[in-house]
Amino acid sequence: MKIFSESHKTVFVVDHCPYMAESCRQHVEFDMLVKNRTQGIIPLAPISKSLWTCSVESSMEYCRIMYDIFPFKKLVNFIVSDSGAHVLNSWTQEDQNLQELMAALAAVGPPNPRADPECCSILHGLVAAVETLCKITEYQHEARTLLMENAERVGNRGRIICITNAKSDSHVRMLEDCVQETIHEHNKLAANSDHLMQIQKCELVLIHTYPVGEDSLVSDRPKKELSPVLTSEVHSVRAGRHLATKLNILVQQHFDLASTTITNIPMKEEQHANTSANYDVELLHHKDAHVDFLKSGDTHLGGSNREGPFKETITLKWCTPRTNNIGRSVLLEQPRKSGSKVISHMLSSHGGEIFLHVLSSSRSILEDPPSISEGCGGRVTDYRITDFGEFMRENRLTPFLDPRYKIDGSLEIPLERAKDQLEKHTRYWPMIISQTTIFNMQAVVPLASVIVKESLTEEDVLNCQKTIYNLVDMERKNDPLPISTVGTRGKGPKRDEQYRIMWNELETLVRAHINNSEKHQRVLECLMACRSKPPEEEERKKRGRKREDKEDKSEKAMKDYEQEKSWQDSERLKGILEHGKEELAEAEIIKDSPDSPEPPNKKPLVEMDETPQVEKSKGPVSLLSLWCNRINTANSRKHQEFAGRLNSVNNRAELYQHLKEENGMETTENGKASRQ
Amino acid sequence: MPTVVVMDVSLSMTRPVSIEGSEEYQRKHLAAHGLTMLFEHMATNYKLEFTALVVFSSLWELMVPFTRDYNTLQEALSNMDDYDKTCLESALVGVCNIVQQEWGGAIPCQVVLVTDGCLGIGRGSLRHSLATHNQRSESNRFPLPFPFPSKLYIMCMANLEELQSTDSLECLERLIDLNNGEGQIFTIDGPLCLKNVQSMFGKLIDLAYTPFHAVLKCGHLTADVQVFPRPEPFVVDEEIDPIPKVINTDLEIVGFIDIADISSPPVLSRHLVLPIALNKEGDEVGTGITDDNEDENSANQIAGKIPNFCVLLHGSLKVEGMVAIVQLGLEWHGMLYSQADSKKKSNLMMSLFEPGPEPLPWLGKMAQLGPISDAKENPYGEDDNKSPFPLQPKNKRSYAQNVTVWIKPSGLQTDVQKILRNARKLPEKTQTFYKELNRLRKAALAFGFLDLLKGVADMLERECTLLPDTAHPDAAFQLTHAAQQLKLASTSTSEYAAYDHNITPLHTDFSGSSTERM
Repeated sequence: MKIFSESHKTVFVVDHCPYMAESCRQHVEFDMLVKNRTQGIIPLAPISKSLWTCSVESSMEYCRIMYDIFPFKKLVNFIVSDSGAHVLNSWTQEDQNLQELMAALAAVGPPNPRADPECCSILHGLVAAVETLCKITEYQHEARTLLMENAERVGNRGRIICITNAKSDSHVRMLEDCVQETIHEHNKLAANSDHLMQIQKCELVLIHTYPVGEDSLVSDRPKKELSPVLTSEVHSVRAGRHLATKLNILVQQHFDLASTTITNIPMKEEQHANTSANYDVELLHHKDAHVDFLKSGDTHLGGSNREGPFKETITLKWCTPRTNNIGRSVLLEQPRKSGSKVISHMLSSHGGEIFLHVLSSSRSILEDPPSISEGCGGRVTDYRITDFGEFMRENRLTPFLDPRYKIDGSLEIPLERAKDQLEKHTRYWPMIISQTTIFNMQAVVPLASVIVKESLTEEDVLNCQKTIYNLVDMERKNDPLPISTVGTRGKGPKRDEQYRIMWNELETLVRAHINNSEKHQRVLECLMACRSKPPEEEERKKRGRKREDKEDKSEKAMKDYEQEKSWQDSERLKGILEHGKEELAEAEIIKDSPDSPEPPNKKPLVEMDETPQVEKSKGPVSLLSLWCNRINTANSRKHQEFAGRLNSVNNRAELYQHLKEENGMETTENGKASRQ
Repeated sequence: MPTVVVMDVSLSMTRPVSIEGSEEYQRKHLAAHGLTMLFEHMATNYKLEFTALVVFSSLWELMVPFTRDYNTLQEALSNMDDYDKTCLESALVGVCNIVQQEWGGAIPCQVVLVTDGCLGIGRGSLRHSLATHNQRSESNRFPLPFPFPSKLYIMCMANLEELQSTDSLECLERLIDLNNGEGQIFTIDGPLCLKNVQSMFGKLIDLAYTPFHAVLKCGHLTADVQVFPRPEPFVVDEEIDPIPKVINTDLEIVGFIDIADISSPPVLSRHLVLPIALNKEGDEVGTGITDDNEDENSANQIAGKIPNFCVLLHGSLKVEGMVAIVQLGLEWHGMLYSQADSKKKSNLMMSLFEPGPEPLPWLGKMAQLGPISDAKENPYGEDDNKSPFPLQPKNKRSYAQNVTVWIKPSGLQTDVQKILRNARKLPEKTQTFYKELNRLRKAALAFGFLDLLKGVADMLERECTLLPDTAHPDAAFQLTHAAQQLKLASTSTSEYAAYDHNITPLHTDFSGSSTERM
């Protein structure tokens, strides 16, 4: 249904003339005798509704259904007509609810049977209806403003539902002519107006209602085009429940609705789970929810059509949830002739609104997909799953309903703020544990958690500085660092080398944020002042030539995080370049990343079988693996390293040989490990 | 979306194709050649697609039910016999049945019809079907439009001139029209030969079977991905220029939401998000999915060991029980989440919401979702024990409030009895009594149903006379007061008839006469 179809604007015109005060002649017993009452009491005489009451009640029900299913963009204008037209509300969204309409109707009250019938006419209301259809709704206004010079392409269509008691077919024709003429006139007026719109299409639904038992003086007539702008249909309906049923059918037609009857709903689910008391509820909803039935022709119409021959409903059975963990949802089962059960729909409630979901009951086209562990990156076992979980929690969304403004006065879009935050928080975010030192250190947390912020408080800066001093202190005391021990038995590089790596990484993190604010700059200044940088000369002597080249590269990369290709890219490139090489290249790849700290002395992965750390990153981290991880990290700091391995960092030739020897084994072993 | 290949095996497909020199080809050979090419393409680039093979002449047969095993499909191609005349309508009915049985009516399917443009003769021929199209009843409805979202691709083993020389092309165009314009006709450009058949099937592959590649982004964290099945353009039923919306090739994560908060939202479609390794030219190197092929194997091995953002994201979404909200285009969003296929296998999935500013009413407008750090206090609470969702609708739905509907007599009777029940338990039930009384009063005033007010007033007065001796004296006072007030309201002139007026309990004080109490 298009936004500006006929259903965007509905005008109810209800006759308020004296004859509408007449009884519908359908009695309602309201004084029902109750058990254990004194015998001999004669119940009060039944009462009956007036034509007016029936009309108002039925049209309110129409509106109730419409508002429930379309809380927005489907608008009603309610007009009652007697010696003049009384417009009860406007097109504005605030006026669109039952409470407003009920209060306005109460103020009008029932028609006065003693009023002069000569002064009263439904025509006043019909003229007002056309007038109101020319008035622009806020949604039309919005769409026109959006389209600027193409504003005329916004449609203005509407429907007039007129409930009256007509005298004859020619009387009906007179009403139609009047509407047509009025549209013609008002379209002329609207053409020269900025705040009125011409009516492009108007659907007139004339409902002639009369007391039960009388003969209708008006004949039914299906929809007919009276002019390119106006179509009209006539329904001759007895008052009382017949009128209500008619409007119920119309609301379904007008808004593409369908009906589902839910059976076997237990009374008070839990308390009376064992009693057989249950009941049925009929729901109206968009007819798309029946699309499967309609197309497959498997329309299993509701058993007893108590409501009359034209009322169609599809019956679904309530399946009481066995456990409560589904939340506020209930599955609905479709009874099939074959006796097989198919869960076809689900009812769920969100914030007091009930939604009917269509579930797919056929085969899934996504069945048996490849597992993520079999794909790219699937074999990597030390993702920072928990850290990213924390990251996600920090980047959760929440609604900001009140408009907020930027400093320049322009409207701030909360979702854009969310994107900005993600950008900031990911400027430096190593994905795997063996690629980072600082994010494995509790001591860095106070700094790392605030440096990503858009702005810092004085206290934040102070905390950052404290963190840096603390690190300096650690270095002075020669405390060990949790530097990538994954897959190694050894301690990795020497202590001073470890600290250099750590400082470099921290600098990368802080540098990524120096443009956020002057306070961020101050954190960097503090860091630069405090961090130890051994004299270049000495460093060079220590390291081999190859190593030196690499260092330069990495240092340069750290200067500017923006220029630096995200490490995944470089990795991937490398991966592709080295594609043809022997397997041993693989061990290189991670090591070679420009900005990641050396995963020092990365031993062939075959060793991992002996260390429980391989458990670490197979998808969800279990408590056991968390614990093992912790213990292992602690242990690895304690035990003494083999002297030989300590020196092996720069001794590349030896390391390569070692790798080659065990390479064949490595792949298979590893393959097994990740498939577990 | 699954594919049904519908292959014409009528005698006309055995017509030879004149090729100088080399061995003699028939049209069916050309068709088989083209399909082989299609199957090979799918086996390498589109391997999760389910394909079925149907052959037809005057009868039809499902040769290969829906499968991802392209070898089986390929084999079936070489085992096709020749049959009698073309009878397209029954074959299309067959396709309807096959698809609906397997996938229901909601999953989009592609139907690839391979024929030579000879549309049969007499009853059952396409001409006959089309000529009788307007005389159908519900029971022998023409199979088009297909009762499921579909594309009908007609691959003609004939060139345009040949089809135009008869009314074949027109008839085939009618078919596409009948399928609501969903589909396309392909003909061979130039002489009928293997090369030109290849180029025709190449066009089909480009149109319908190119994998959808995108970049998944979360700030600076990115991954190249393939989205399967590829998301099809969505036509928003808009007033002005219904332009099909196509999803961005940048899938940008905007934030995260707990699964419990997003609940089970309605979605347009669901897709696998598969990380892929691309080389410099943007060609896919491998999905990392292990394969028998050795070359591919080593490439996959390497790809498997390079950390990938998808795997990290998937792992954390799974552990935390969260979804990532992803922006697909202007006012179009979706969500990424982990879905377990079995205990061992799980996957990163993406569901597309309906385009629009507010696809899920209980989250509010998407543009109004912002980072929690912007809120004065954490809306999730310090201990993560709260949630800002679901948002309550501005106006409660009628079923979430006590709306009065008297269309069925039972509705009115229930409301009257409620008042009566409470009247008999006065003064204990004074509050409920007046609450129900006022609700009835308001509705009666709005509906102009003043007789009801009088009737209920009479009823209350009668109740007053029926009070047992043991009744509290207050009961009689309240009943008389209530009846009087209802009568005032029904005369519809006094201030007591105002809609907003509420009948309040009569103020009584029986503290002095406590002996009366039971």
